Amino acid sequence: MKTHISKRQPLQRLWLALRFPHLPAHVLASHGLDAAIDSAEPQVISAKRQLIWLNSAAQNAGVTLGMDITTAQLLSGCVAQERANQKELQRLSELAETMYQFSPYIETYASEQVPQSGLLLEVGSCLMLFGGLTALCEKIAQQMAQENIALAIGFAHSKAAAWLLSFAEQIIADDKTKADFIAQLKTLPISWLHDFPKQVDALEKMGFVTLAEIAKQVEAQSVGSFRKRFGHAFADYLCELFGIDQDFQQDSLFEKPVTLFKPHEFFAEQVQFDYPLHQIDQLQQPMEHLLQNLSAYLRKRQLQTQQIEWVLSDIYRHRDALTVFADSPQTHWQLLLDLSLIQLENRELPFEVDTLSLNCRHTLPMQAASHVLEFEHGRKINRQQFSITAAKLKARLGDAAIYKLSYKDSYLPNESNQRISLTETCEQELPSIHQSAQRPQWLLDAPVEIQLRKQGLYWRGRITLIAGPERIQGNWWSEPSARDYFIGVRQDQQRLWIFFDVHKQQWFVQGIFA
Amino acid sequence: MKLVPPDHPASAGSPPSLEQLLCRGDIWRGRSHQAPPRLVVDTGYAALNERLTGSGWPVASLMEVCQKSACHSEWQLLVPALLHTQRGLVVLLNPPISPFAQALLQAGIDLERLLIVEAKDKSDFLASFIELARSDACDAVMAWQPTQALSYTELRKCALASTEGQGIYVLFRPDAVRDQSSPAVLRLTLEWESEQLRINIFKQKGELTVNRQPIHLPIPNAWKGLLPHNELDSQGKPKPKIASVTPIRGWRR
Repeated sequence: MKTHISKRQPLQRLWLALRFPHLPAHVLASHGLDAAIDSAEPQVISAKRQLIWLNSAAQNAGVTLGMDITTAQLLSGCVAQERANQKELQRLSELAETMYQFSPYIETYASEQVPQSGLLLEVGSCLMLFGGLTALCEKIAQQMAQENIALAIGFAHSKAAAWLLSFAEQIIADDKTKADFIAQLKTLPISWLHDFPKQVDALEKMGFVTLAEIAKQVEAQSVGSFRKRFGHAFADYLCELFGIDQDFQQDSLFEKPVTLFKPHEFFAEQVQFDYPLHQIDQLQQPMEHLLQNLSAYLRKRQLQTQQIEWVLSDIYRHRDALTVFADSPQTHWQLLLDLSLIQLENRELPFEVDTLSLNCRHTLPMQAASHVLEFEHGRKINRQQFSITAAKLKARLGDAAIYKLSYKDSYLPNESNQRISLTETCEQELPSIHQSAQRPQWLLDAPVEIQLRKQGLYWRGRITLIAGPERIQGNWWSEPSARDYFIGVRQDQQRLWIFFDVHKQQWFVQGIFA
Repeated sequence: MKLVPPDHPASAGSPPSLEQLLCRGDIWRGRSHQAPPRLVVDTGYAALNERLTGSGWPVASLMEVCQKSACHSEWQLLVPALLHTQRGLVVLLNPPISPFAQALLQAGIDLERLLIVEAKDKSDFLASFIELARSDACDAVMAWQPTQALSYTELRKCALASTEGQGIYVLFRPDAVRDQSSPAVLRLTLEWESEQLRINIFKQKGELTVNRQPIHLPIPNAWKGLLPHNELDSQGKPKPKIASVTPIRGWRR
C-alpha cells in the first residue's frame, strides 16, 4: 500500500468580518427590520441627539446621518428613537453564540465612534471543514438570513483589514493572498478609518487621501514617523492593517494567539421514562437524580443558583413548566428538591409525563460564606438551617406570611407596630416615654368601636375602667388625633386597652393585656 | 434550661443498653413513681414549677393550653420561660391578633428572635408546625389552632414532630376541646380571676393521679388598677402607681 504524505503547510490566519449595518434598527424594530427600512414613514435613531441610523423615507426627505435630531424632525417629521446600546450588545452576544458553530475564535466589534458593530471570526483553521471560504460564507449568509439580519462581509489577513474591507464591495474567492488584500486596502479612502477621527482629520489636512499613500510613506520611512506624530494606537493599527512585523531584528517566531470564544454555559438535562408517569410521587426519584447532577455541575464550576426550571412533556408535545425560586443561592440539591416538591404538592399532573427536564440558566459565582467556629457544645441559633426552613415556609405560604416585628417611632400605637421581612433588622430602641407606660401584648390592627349601653361600655362583655387616662395626641400634620387611653376590665376579668377618641367622641378597644 | 438525658440517646449502630432504654420518656415502667429525667425550661413561677413533673415546661413535647375564645393570657404564662431561652427563635404560628412591639420590648423580648408565621389553612398550619418543630433553630413555637378543628391524628403528627425538636411547643386551643382526647404531654386551662391567673392542669404525662387543685399566678400590679376612692382608707393600702397616668384638665366623659 502506498501512503501519500503531504507536507503540512502552516495555517494562514484568515479573518472574516461580519458587519451588521442595521443592528440599531433591528433591536428596536417591533414589526421586523424590513418593515422599518421600507416604511413610508420616515424613521430615525439617535444617540446623544445625533442621528446614527435612518430609513429610506427619511433619506428621501433630506435627512442625513450625523444631523441633529431636532433639525431632522423639523425637516421630515420623522419618528425618532433612542439607540439601545445594551440591547445591541445582547443581540451581538446572541449572534456570537450562533456563529460558534463555524469557528471557536470569535470577537465582538462594537465601535464607540460609529454605530457599526459586528463580529470577527478567525476562519483560517476551519476552511477545510466547511469546504472553502465561498461555501462557508454561503452558510453564514443563510444563517443570518434566518435571523433576519442585514450583513456585510469582509475578509482579510488581519482583524482590522477584514473589518475595513467589509465596507468595500469584496468578491469572495478562495485563492486570495495577503498581497491581494493589501492591494485592495490601498484603494480605500482614509476617511473610512472611523476609529481614528482626529488622526484622519490631520492626515487629510496633510494631503493624504487613500491608504496607498500611507502605505507608500510607511515603506519609505517605516512606521516610526506615524508613531511619533499620531500615537502608538494608530501606528499599531497601521501595522495590523498592512501586516507589518514590528520586530526589527527578525520575524516573530510565533504569532499572537487568538482568544477562544467561550459560549454561555447553562445546565439542561432530561430524563425519559420507559412508561408514562401519571402520579406526582413517581417524579420524586428522577427529580432527585437530575438535581444531584445539577449540584455536581455547580460544584465543579464553583457556581450557585437561585432559580431552576422543570419542564414536563409528553409524546404529544404537551409541555408544562414549573419555575422554582430559592430564598438564597444554592449549590446543594436538597433544598431545591424540597421546594420543588412543595410546589408540586397542590398540583396534579396535566398529562401523562414521558420526559422530565431540568434547566438552570441563571447562575452566579459561589459566594464565600464565613462560618463561626463553634467551640461551645450548647445550642446556638442555626441561622443557616433556619434559612432552609424559612425558604420552605415561604414556598408554601408566600413571602408575606412570614415576618418579624419592629418598633417604629410614631404617635399612633398601631403605626408604631411595623411588620418587616426576615432580612431586615428590627428597631428595638424604645423611647423612655413608652418604657414605663402600660402597653397590651396584643394590638388590634384597627381599633374596634365599643358600644355605649345603659350599664356602661360593652365589647363582648361589660367593661369597667380601672386605670387611666393617658393622653396620646399628635399626627396634626395629616389627621389630627387625640385619644385618652384607659385600662378596662371586662366582666370575664380580661384586661383591655381602650381609648376615648376626643375628635370622634367615641370609645374604641385597641389592645388586649394577655 | 436544666440538663437531663434526652429521650433518644445517640446510638451509633450498637444496640442501646437497658439503662439507656429506661431513660426514654416513652417507656411504660409499671407503677414505678420514678419519673424519667427530662429536659425542661423553668416556667418562672415557683408554684407552677412545683406542680410540673421535671419542675418546668417539658422540652421536645407538645403542650396544649385551652382558653375561652375571647380570653387571652398567653404572654403572662410564657414570657418568663421565653426569657430563659435566650438563644433560638421564638415563633408565633397563626397568632389571633398582632403582638404589640412596645409591650414585648418592655417585657425584655428580643424582637430579632421573634418570628410570626401566618398559616390560616389547616394543611398549611400542620405542614408549618411540623417544619418549625423539626427546625433546630426554634427555641419556642407558640401555635394557635386554625379555624378548622384539628383531629386526633393531626394532633398526633404535631406531637411526633415536637419530639424531634429541642424547644418548647405550645398549642393554644379553644376551651371547648378540653374534654376531647389529645396526645399532648401536658394539657392545661387558663382563666382570669379578679387579681390572678388560674391554671388548671388536667393532664400530665408521668403523673398517675391528677391533682385537680388549681394554681394561681399573680398578675402585674399595674393591671390591678386604682381602687375606688371610698376603699382607699379602709384597705389601708397605698394607691398603686400607674406610670402612664397623666391627669387631664377639663376632661369630660
